[in-house]
Amino acid sequence: MSSTPLARQSIRRRLLAFLVSVLLLLVGAAAAVTYWSALRAANDAYDRALLDPAIDLQQNLRMDNGVPRLDLPPTAQEALMYDQADEVVFQIRAPDGTVIAGVDDLPPAAALVQGHHLFYDVNYHDKDLRVAALLNEKNILIQVGETRHKRNRLIGEILVAELVPTLLIALATIGLAWAGVAHGLAPLARVRTELLARSPHDLRPIPNDAAPVEIAPVVDAFNGLLDRLRNASAMQKRFFANAAHQLRTPLAGLQMHLELLLRREQAPDVRAELERLHKATVRTGRVTSQLLALAKAESAPGIERKFEPVDLYQCVEAGAQQWVPNAIARDIDLGFALEHVVVPGDTLLLTELLDSLLDNALRYTPEGGTVTVQCGTREGVTYLSVEDTGPGIPESDRDKVFERFHRVAGTQGEGSGLGLAIVREVADRHGARVAIETPEGGEGTRIVVLFGTATRERRDAA
Amino acid sequence: MRILVVEDDPLLAEGLANVLSRAGHAVDHAATGARAEQALTTTEFDLVVLDIGLPDVDGFALLQQLRARHSPASVLVLTARDTVEDRVHGLDLGANDYMTKPFSVAEFEARVRALLRRSAVPEAQLAAGTLSMDLSAKRARVGGKTIELTSREWSLLELFLTRAGRVLSKDQIAERLLTQDEQLSPNAIEVYVSRLRAKIEPEGFRLRTVRGFGYLWDAGNE
Repeated sequence: MSSTPLARQSIRRRLLAFLVSVLLLLVGAAAAVTYWSALRAANDAYDRALLDPAIDLQQNLRMDNGVPRLDLPPTAQEALMYDQADEVVFQIRAPDGTVIAGVDDLPPAAALVQGHHLFYDVNYHDKDLRVAALLNEKNILIQVGETRHKRNRLIGEILVAELVPTLLIALATIGLAWAGVAHGLAPLARVRTELLARSPHDLRPIPNDAAPVEIAPVVDAFNGLLDRLRNASAMQKRFFANAAHQLRTPLAGLQMHLELLLRREQAPDVRAELERLHKATVRTGRVTSQLLALAKAESAPGIERKFEPVDLYQCVEAGAQQWVPNAIARDIDLGFALEHVVVPGDTLLLTELLDSLLDNALRYTPEGGTVTVQCGTREGVTYLSVEDTGPGIPESDRDKVFERFHRVAGTQGEGSGLGLAIVREVADRHGARVAIETPEGGEGTRIVVLFGTATRERRDAA
Repeated sequence: MRILVVEDDPLLAEGLANVLSRAGHAVDHAATGARAEQALTTTEFDLVVLDIGLPDVDGFALLQQLRARHSPASVLVLTARDTVEDRVHGLDLGANDYMTKPFSVAEFEARVRALLRRSAVPEAQLAAGTLSMDLSAKRARVGGKTIELTSREWSLLELFLTRAGRVLSKDQIAERLLTQDEQLSPNAIEVYVSRLRAKIEPEGFRLRTVRGFGYLWDAGNE
């Protein structure tokens, strides 16, 4: 039943793959949005502070013969440009574009209207600079730029503050989904346990009132299948009943008329012929019964009929009655040694089992022999046994005798080879083991049915 | 005795009727449940041989109606179906005995004999071969010779004759012979049986012992 793990899909894996990819997308999008808004917040916070020195510089501009000049001592300039975190540079350009103060390699800001300012980013000496540009009424361009350390630090802080909880939530979601799948699938595990514990003949529906909405359709569908199997099995049972009737009734008529003919005076050759016919008819009747018993044992009477406590003593006493005349007719000493022992079982099937054992024993035991039926407890195990003084079953044949239509080579009598197949089938249904032993005397056969000793394959497989 | 055979299979019905008429009984035959119903309401039968698988009605239903009318007739159920299940069902509904098809003529005859003995009116006689029990005079005879029996031995013999063909366990015997002031132990039963044997075996009647089970009125006694 094991298919390759590769081909097997896992609900948990599928759900997790879906969750992880969606969460990654969501967290990525959240990070992008957070970064963008953090960038804006950082620029908003520091741009105003960057414009202040530009305004200060503008206020310290003097005109010398129509030429602008910065009237600020170097110490004051230094103080103005001082910042704890960032490097700050400035530049003042005359209307003709000549740099009159500050660094001379900062490119001029693009289109700027007189009396207005703007902020922009630029790469300067391999550093990202944020620049505040101011164009005064006299068309003099004042620019102050600073590196982005402060801003980046703020963005980082905002990102950490925003994204760490988001990531934690995402991880928790994945963890919960992992555990949740197991929890959510627990009803399936219950259904599985229920199914594993079933006997192969138990076709009652699975109780689905406790099944969650998601599983209920599966359980319903399965119960539908069980229902169809049950119907099929009921039809099969009706078929057996009809077949039994259609076969046994004419056989009964045939046997009766042959027996009536045999009671009349007949010529010796006719009598011999009639006796052969009678023998064949009786045999056909028995094989018919055995085939039906076997079919019954292996079909599903366990559906409606539950196992009930069966007292083997009573079961044997009720079933053995009909074998006594048979034994007397063949001068076989049929005896019983019974104890009251109770096993869970099906009386009908156990009677079929006993019938088969006795039929075999009486058939193969020569006239004047002994057959003993016993039930009781041996070493703590409940058993039912039939012992005879027949020819015995050779060791080499002991496995094969349970096969259908197998007959021990060289045996007398007209066995069908079905008796022990029935015994085993019924024993299997009762979780019992069948053992063939040689009785203490060293002759004959002792067949023992040991109840409650068979390990059920189904449990091993589970 | 008047016997109704309810069986739809002509071959078997004819055979059954044949066997029963040879034994000196008046036999009626009904091939359907309806015909059987009709016969049963108009005639009083001592025994009904009833097939369960009838073409029109379930034989069990017929049995049920019969018992609902408190008919005293004994019923011997014949079935081709499941053995134990139907048997329990049939006996629950008031069948007196039960046979699964096919069966031997000898077995059928033995069952019929035992049933008719049981249903015989109390004043009548019980008989097996040359042995007869006059139930009113409480006297047992073989041929013309009277056999003296104690009341226990009498009860025991009566029990065996009405249950011919069946093994009676010591428990069953104790149950039947039970009187209020006496508990019958298995040993006591053995004693009674051996005393009865001592009286009937010289006359050629056998009580078989079935080891570990009980006793059986030998079919050869009939």
